[in-house]
Amino acid sequence: MARLTLDSVTKRFDDVVAVDGVSVDIEDGEFLVLVGPSGCGKSTTLRMIAGLESISEGDIRLGQTSLSGKRPKERDIAMVFQSYALYPHMTVRENMSFGLEESTDLDDDTIRQKVEDAASMLDIDDLLGRKPDELSGGQQQRVALGRAIVRDPEVFLMDEPLSNLDAKLRAQMRTELQRIQENLDTTTVYVTHDQTEAMTMGDRIAILDGGHLQQVGTPLEVYHKPANRFVAGFIGEPSMNFFEMEVQGDRLVGDDFAYPLSEESRAAVEGSSHVTLGIRPEDVEVVEEGDGRHEFETVVDVVEPMGNENNVYLAFSPEREHSFVATVGGMRSVESGQPVVARFPESAIHLFDAETGAALKNRSLDELESSEPRL
Amino acid sequence: MSSNSGSWSESVNLRRVSVYGVLVVMVAFYLAPLETGLMTAFKTQNAFFSTTPFAPPPADGVTVQPWAAALDRLGPGVVNSLLFAVPATMLSALFGSMAAYGMTNLNWKYQVGVLSLFVAGVFIPYQSVLVPLTRFWSMVDVASLLAFIPPLADRAGLIELGVTHAAYGIPICTVLFRGYYLSLDDEMLEAARLDGASPARIYRKIVLPLSKPMFAVTLIYQFTNIWNDLLFALVLVSDPSNAPVTIALNTLKGSMVQQYNVQMAGAFIAALPTLVIYVLFGEQFAKGVAGET
Repeated sequence: MARLTLDSVTKRFDDVVAVDGVSVDIEDGEFLVLVGPSGCGKSTTLRMIAGLESISEGDIRLGQTSLSGKRPKERDIAMVFQSYALYPHMTVRENMSFGLEESTDLDDDTIRQKVEDAASMLDIDDLLGRKPDELSGGQQQRVALGRAIVRDPEVFLMDEPLSNLDAKLRAQMRTELQRIQENLDTTTVYVTHDQTEAMTMGDRIAILDGGHLQQVGTPLEVYHKPANRFVAGFIGEPSMNFFEMEVQGDRLVGDDFAYPLSEESRAAVEGSSHVTLGIRPEDVEVVEEGDGRHEFETVVDVVEPMGNENNVYLAFSPEREHSFVATVGGMRSVESGQPVVARFPESAIHLFDAETGAALKNRSLDELESSEPRL
Repeated sequence: MSSNSGSWSESVNLRRVSVYGVLVVMVAFYLAPLETGLMTAFKTQNAFFSTTPFAPPPADGVTVQPWAAALDRLGPGVVNSLLFAVPATMLSALFGSMAAYGMTNLNWKYQVGVLSLFVAGVFIPYQSVLVPLTRFWSMVDVASLLAFIPPLADRAGLIELGVTHAAYGIPICTVLFRGYYLSLDDEMLEAARLDGASPARIYRKIVLPLSKPMFAVTLIYQFTNIWNDLLFALVLVSDPSNAPVTIALNTLKGSMVQQYNVQMAGAFIAALPTLVIYVLFGEQFAKGVAGET
């Protein structure tokens, strides 16, 4: 077992820089999720770790040994592909034993034993004699996983392994994958574009955009303390609301409203003339009426009922196209066209530099701590 | 509603009748030459002159003698043809498959240049290589090279023919296999690489077993081409004992009397192996043409 180190890894395809100086340390046994929009370089990064792409600059190390220049078969790495990539002419058993036959000197009995152990762990023992086209998508997914597990590698690489499953099965496999990974305690790098998968599965999340690493942190860190505007907008569903504001003394002035700042926030925006104000939908409080400093008259545009909660789209006036989202409880009745007051509590707002996007101030986490049960 | 469905089924019936009518006419059109040939092959010479070609033979004019005569004279030619056509077919398909794998699923420099040579090879007409081909085989004297194995040395003409056809078939087989290999899942081949298999092992264990439908296509195509070839055979085979079936068939055409019944029986005998190949590989052939994996 060993830690996996990415050291300023860069990948160029002709003139295009797909991955630009990415450095991450992945601890032994850690589950790291690489997340980002399509084309952000996350799959390329994974393929460089696997040895399917060469590294233009930088180095990837497993423990103390450099992987660059080593061929895929010498890396002791197993990968699960999005398309599962099963061998269609082989049975499940042959699919799972192929890697052991090709890369080890184990005798047939040992291979059979290992395949059966992995199969029973994944609950596919009774499928061993079947061919991939006789299996459902979920079963194929398990076989693909089994093919990786049976190798007992140093590192698992997973390239959007759940994206071809239907929503219900995906949620189920998410939990199961986590359980398996915890049991095996194998270092895992998991690529996805789905921020829900990233939040729920990872020990840590690495967010990539345009080939640049944006932030690495635990799910709650990146959710509550995003390093920049991109991370803030990418993590969280529905996304954070953003408003472009101009700094005028102790106030932020935007197209639709002005937001008075406390002394602390004012210090944070010192030196910036334009900032982006961000607030998560669940932090927007919808009240009937109010007269506070951070309350604004709005009109309900659209209501999306989710059952447990409602996503309410609010506009500052009925004529304005631009609306923002607030999440309210599912039992609360809100009607389209209804005038309501939206409160942006100052403790919950994020401020980003309008030019660089870097976070100037993140939400305060005092509430988070105080929300723990008090005895 | 019920009257509606009545007229609907009537119109369907009418359509069906016309469709089948057209089909029957087409079947008759395409089968007429075959039927005529078959009938002729079972007629005595006299019956042939006294009846129309496609009419069945009269009771006193039925004979299998033309078949016996044709078989007798074509027998050695059929054996000769099988001796070079079967190995040449298999070799061109196998080498075509290997070349296509190397140029499709592996990455190396100058791949495109080499591939374009193969594609160009598809378009070289038989006639344009006749002279260089005979020059080549007169320089490489197979008979004296294999003189120490007399059975092979005697068959030198067939060996030349086989090697020539195998080489000539490789480009088209490569192009056919390449189309098929382009559709193979890249992730699957990468998975095999990560599983520790070398390129040669990936070909042997993954690509080759998945190529069955394309092998059916190339085997049928190549076998029919090679079996039916007359031009290379005329140029390369000088010893009459090595004459393939196409040359033997030509000798059935007598110089004085035209024995149409013997010629027709001979044509059927000469065509039989290609029909057998179609029947044997038909199912795989359909899969290969449909691009199924």
